[in-house]
Order: sequence, then C-alpha cells, then structure tokens
Amino acid sequence: MSTLWTLTAKDLRLLVRDRAGLFFSVFFPVLYAVFFGTVFSGAAGDYKARRIGIPFVDEDRTPASAAFLRAVTGEGQLQVEVTDRAAALDLVRHGRRAAAVLIPPGFGEARKKLFRGVPTTVQIAADPSRPAEAEMVKGLVIRRLYGGIQEIFTDRALLRQQMDDTLAALSAEPEANPVRVAALTAMFEAVDRFMRTLDATPALGATSTSAPAGTNARAFEPVRIEPIELESRRIGPKNFYAVSFPQGIIWGVMSCAATFGISLVVERTGGTLRRLRTTPAPRAALLGGKAAACLLSTLCVCALLLGVARFGFGVRPISLGGLAVAVACVCVAFAGIMMLLSVLGRTEQSAGGIGWAVLLVMSMIGGGMVPLFIMPGWIQAISVASPVRWAILALEGAIWRDFSASEMLLPCTILIATGVACFVVGARLFARLDSR
Amino acid sequence: MLHLSHVLKRYGALCAVDDLSLTIRRGEIFGLLGPNGAGKSTTVNMICGLLAPDAGEIRFNGEGAPSDAAIRRRIGVAPQELAIYLELSAEENVRFFARLYGLRGAALAEATTAALRTVGLSDRRRERARTFSGGMKRRLNLAAAIAHRPELLILDEPTVGVDPQSRNAILENVLDLRRAGCTVIYTTHYMEEAQRLCDRIAIIDRGRLLALGTVDELLRAHGGRSRLIAGTDGGEHVVETDDPLAELARLRAAGRLRDFRVQGPDLESVFLHLTGRTLRDE
Repeated sequence: MSTLWTLTAKDLRLLVRDRAGLFFSVFFPVLYAVFFGTVFSGAAGDYKARRIGIPFVDEDRTPASAAFLRAVTGEGQLQVEVTDRAAALDLVRHGRRAAAVLIPPGFGEARKKLFRGVPTTVQIAADPSRPAEAEMVKGLVIRRLYGGIQEIFTDRALLRQQMDDTLAALSAEPEANPVRVAALTAMFEAVDRFMRTLDATPALGATSTSAPAGTNARAFEPVRIEPIELESRRIGPKNFYAVSFPQGIIWGVMSCAATFGISLVVERTGGTLRRLRTTPAPRAALLGGKAAACLLSTLCVCALLLGVARFGFGVRPISLGGLAVAVACVCVAFAGIMMLLSVLGRTEQSAGGIGWAVLLVMSMIGGGMVPLFIMPGWIQAISVASPVRWAILALEGAIWRDFSASEMLLPCTILIATGVACFVVGARLFARLDSR
Repeated sequence: MLHLSHVLKRYGALCAVDDLSLTIRRGEIFGLLGPNGAGKSTTVNMICGLLAPDAGEIRFNGEGAPSDAAIRRRIGVAPQELAIYLELSAEENVRFFARLYGLRGAALAEATTAALRTVGLSDRRRERARTFSGGMKRRLNLAAAIAHRPELLILDEPTVGVDPQSRNAILENVLDLRRAGCTVIYTTHYMEEAQRLCDRIAIIDRGRLLALGTVDELLRAHGGRSRLIAGTDGGEHVVETDDPLAELARLRAAGRLRDFRVQGPDLESVFLHLTGRTLRDE
C-alpha cells in the first residue's frame, strides 16, 4: 500500500507541476462549463424562460387582426415584436429570426365569412435552415387561428350572426344556387336547434353552469389537451449550467485520462518505467499507482467543478448520494480508459494525438461537446457506444434528472464495466509492449 | 556475489546472449565491454531482473534470482537513459526511488542526503532536474541508484554524453563506492574508462564472451605488440615490437634518432585482436 501511495503521490505531484496539463484538466473544464452555460442560458440565465422571437406584421389593422396579435402575444413560447413587412422579412432572411408572421389585408373580413369558403389567411416566412423553430411557430399560429374558430362555435350569438350573414349574402347573390341555399338554411337551423337544446340540458357530468349567458363553452370542444400535474419531481434542469457543468466535468476527466495515459508512454519511452521495474515494487503497483493517481485527480476535478457549479452558479444536485456514486463511476471508467490510451501510441506525440482523437470522437458522439438532444437521431443512436454518454447521463441523473436508484444502475454499471475492461485490456497490451 | 551460468537469451532468430557464464566477485568493479548490439544491455537487463533468461541461471549470492523482489532490494540500477523525473527536484527524485526500496523516515532522509552529497548535488537539491546540465542529470541518475545503499550497483553507460568534468566526477564516485564495499557492474564502450576503473573486464561480442580477466591479463593475452614510433632524418618510422627498448637502442646506434614514443597495447587493440573489428567503428 505504501509503495502504491509513493507511486500515486509522485504522479499527482507531476500533474500539479505540469501547468498545461493542469490547465486542461482543471481550469479549461470550468471555463467550458461557464461559457456554454452562459451562452445557452441567455442574459436572464433562466433556461426555461427562453422564447422564440418572431416579427409580427399587421397589414389588416382590423379588430380581428388586433385580437389575433393579442392571442399570439399571449403564447408563452413566443416573443412578438411588431414591425413592417420589409423589416420582418429582412430579419428572417439574415437568420436573425427563425420565422415571421404576417397578417395580410382581408384577414378581419375573412374571419366574418366562416361559412362562405373564404379562408382566413396568415403568411409565415420561415428560415429554411431552422425548420424546427419555424414549424413550432407555425403550430402555435395555427392553434391560435383555430382558437378563433372555436370561439365562434362556442358563442351562440356570434354563430347566429355568422349564419345570418352567410344566408343574407347568399340570398343577395343573383346566381346563388337555391338548392345550396336551402341546404345551408336547413343545416344552420338544425345547428341552432342543437345549441338551444344544449343550453336547456346540462351536459353529462357537468358540475357547474358558469358559462356566460348566450354561450355554451362545453358545446363545441372536439379536442382537449389536459395538462398533467406532476408531483414534486422536476423534469428539466433549473438552468443551463446544470447541463454545461456535467459536460465540463467530462472534459476534465478526459483531460486527466489523456495526461496520465501520455505520461505512461513517456515513462515507457524515457526509461523511468524500466527503472521502476528494477525496484522491488510489483508491476501491478506500477500500473495501479498510475491508475490511482488518475482516479484521485479526476475525483478532485469533479469535486472542484461541482463546487464551482454549486456555489458559483446555483446548480443544486437533487441527490448528493447519487452524485457521489455517479462521480465515482465516471472516475473509474476514465482511469480504465487512461490505461487503454497509453498503449495506442509508441511515442508521446503519437499517443497524445491518437488518444485525444479517440476522446474527442467519444465526446462528440456522446454529447460531451453539444448536448445530445440537439444532435441528429443517428448520432443519438450510436452514442450508446460512447462512455461519455453514460457519464453525462449518470451525472445528470443525480444533478437534475432525479433518477431513481434503479435508473442510475444502467449508466453506472456500464461505466464500471467500461473502466474495468479498458484497464485489463490496456494493462495486458502495456505489458506486451513493455517486454519488447 | 553474482553468478551467471550458461545464460541464453534469444529474440526470435537472433541470439542476443549465447551461453554466457561468469562470476562477479564481491567488492570489484566488473566491466562489460563490447560494441553496440554485443549483448551488454540484454545481459544487464537479465541481471536486473527485467528479462528472464531462456536458458541458464543467474544467482545472487547463491540466494535467489534477481527477479525476486527481495534480491532486487539489494541491487541498484542506473540505466543508460536519464531515468529521472525532470519536473521533480533532485531531492524528490532520490527520495522517491529510495522509498520504493523500502526506506522511510530518518533513514530515508539520511540516505537521500548522503546520495546527493556523494554525487555533488547537495547545493542544488531543491532545484528541479529540468534545470540541470546533462552532467548533473547523469549524476542525479546515479544518486537515485545508490541512495538505498545497494550491495550490487549496475551502471549502464553512465557517462554517455557528459562533459569531461562530470565524467571525471562520476568515475571518482564509482571508485568511492567500491571503496565503501559496493560491487559494481559497469558497461561501457569507452575503453579508457574501463581501463581506468575496472578490476576485471569481460569482452563480449554478438552475445558471446570473448575474453575475461584483469586489464593486464587481457593486454598480455590479446593486446599484441607495442608500437615504437620514432622520428629520424629519413622520416617517421613505426615499428611493432615485443621489446621497444632493444629497437630503440638499435635506432640510436644507427645515429638517426631525433625523437620517439611508445604505444603500449590497449583494450581497443585487444578487441581488434579478438574480433577483427574496432569498438569505436560499431
């Protein structure tokens, strides 16, 4: 044990004196987490408060278009800025906004002619490079448009007005088809009778008749979306630092793994490893000391980053116990990966180049650079092969995903298995290289 | 102290060490002399316990093989490479290696101080090895090998690439260690060093032991004749002779001698005689 600690302490001392290694293992991950946390959080720093900005152009300027503007403005996900057509299109063309909503003249008039086949038209200009946001805007606009139609069907007076206007307009048309007029009249009268019946008869299961006079809020409601009240279990991070700091931790442990992996190559090529092997220290202690130093340094990096996240950026882990387990599993995994990295190159340069290439690929496909939910589906699919994915999942599980013990089991088991497998394979390959 | 008996080591088709048998006596400086690729490093690696012989046996004091940790504790090795940590100070380097040999507490501190004093680095003990000259790094390499006071010290080309002053200091250190009772195995391809330091020398080439003995014994057996170089009115004459004095008297009697010098046989000529090649050309 004393020999192991002697070897471990030597490596930790060397790490502390390697300024570049220390920077990339400790300070760079903090900078990374703070930078991306700040960028994605926005000035308010509230992850959930981010809204999509849309230019809104009202060329109709009627009470109906004004009401529609109010309705769209009421959408929590949209931040509406009223402007003119040229400015709105310019904002989208230059990529500063994902989509613009334009109300052309005739919008208000069309709203009054629901049954006369005149469509209510809204124009949407979308940035083709941001289809997801544009589709979201489109969906919200359609929702509000149909909201207006629903309003007509739930306000009997308004509906009566629409029906009377339609019949009057059709009767005034000299070429109106009498059969069509008769059919529409019959349909409108039937609808009117239906609504009167509804007014007179409370709906099944109704507990209140609080609807305003002349309306029947329950009369026309073909689709209803009901929000489910979750218990205290939060889904989603409190702020983006809760997302960026696990990624920063991954950068820190990857850097430690690379640093120690390369240092093992340096020991092999520089002759210190041969000298160590002439001492009474067992070979297992030589590799174990390196792994232990890597493990301790990654633990320190994790502790430091989590401390900065907690006290500097308000990231409060939901489960401290779960976080301790996750951190331990992550550190074990990357200590093992370090061992495997040390056999990838024969020289310090080649080991460094190959090692970082491997780690960067792991990070890219595992969500260490960009959060996985932003990535295309195929990358999300192959990310299961990257330990980085499981490391981030375990950390996030304890920090904000509120994983149960059984949910933590999968990522933690994969991390431990990865670490042990990499260490065993790496140690065997290392012994083979060393004996040449 | 150390006995190699019919030791054989192969790397595929190449026989690096071929049936090598020799005994190293307690308290002597034993030289392993040979060109690059002669099998010196393989022999040293087997003596250190880094390699296991394919055949034959190596015994330390008749007690065990160098692969045993207990035996390795009594051996010190200064490899040819500068096997020190450049980001550690001189003292930290020596302490680190001494701890691996089991030294602790006051014994560790005392051994570290003594080793650094021996190699003349006491006043630089707190400075990082990175700041040292090549010669100082070599001396530190030596200090890390002697701190635990080994019974057998293996020095593999310990003066490669160092300035004359540091080389001289290292050679003096080796002589001091012998005086302190340490047995030294010294590999080199510098014949002057071997001739100056070694009590006995083994000349090996292509894995085989060609000759073994004291310097005088080797010179007598394999050194060949002395060379008399005489300047005369007719120019410089080089004469190989077993009796330089008689030849000198003959030239003087002829009245033609202006100056002269005599070159005795050296280890280079021993090696040339044994192999047909020179050491330095390898």
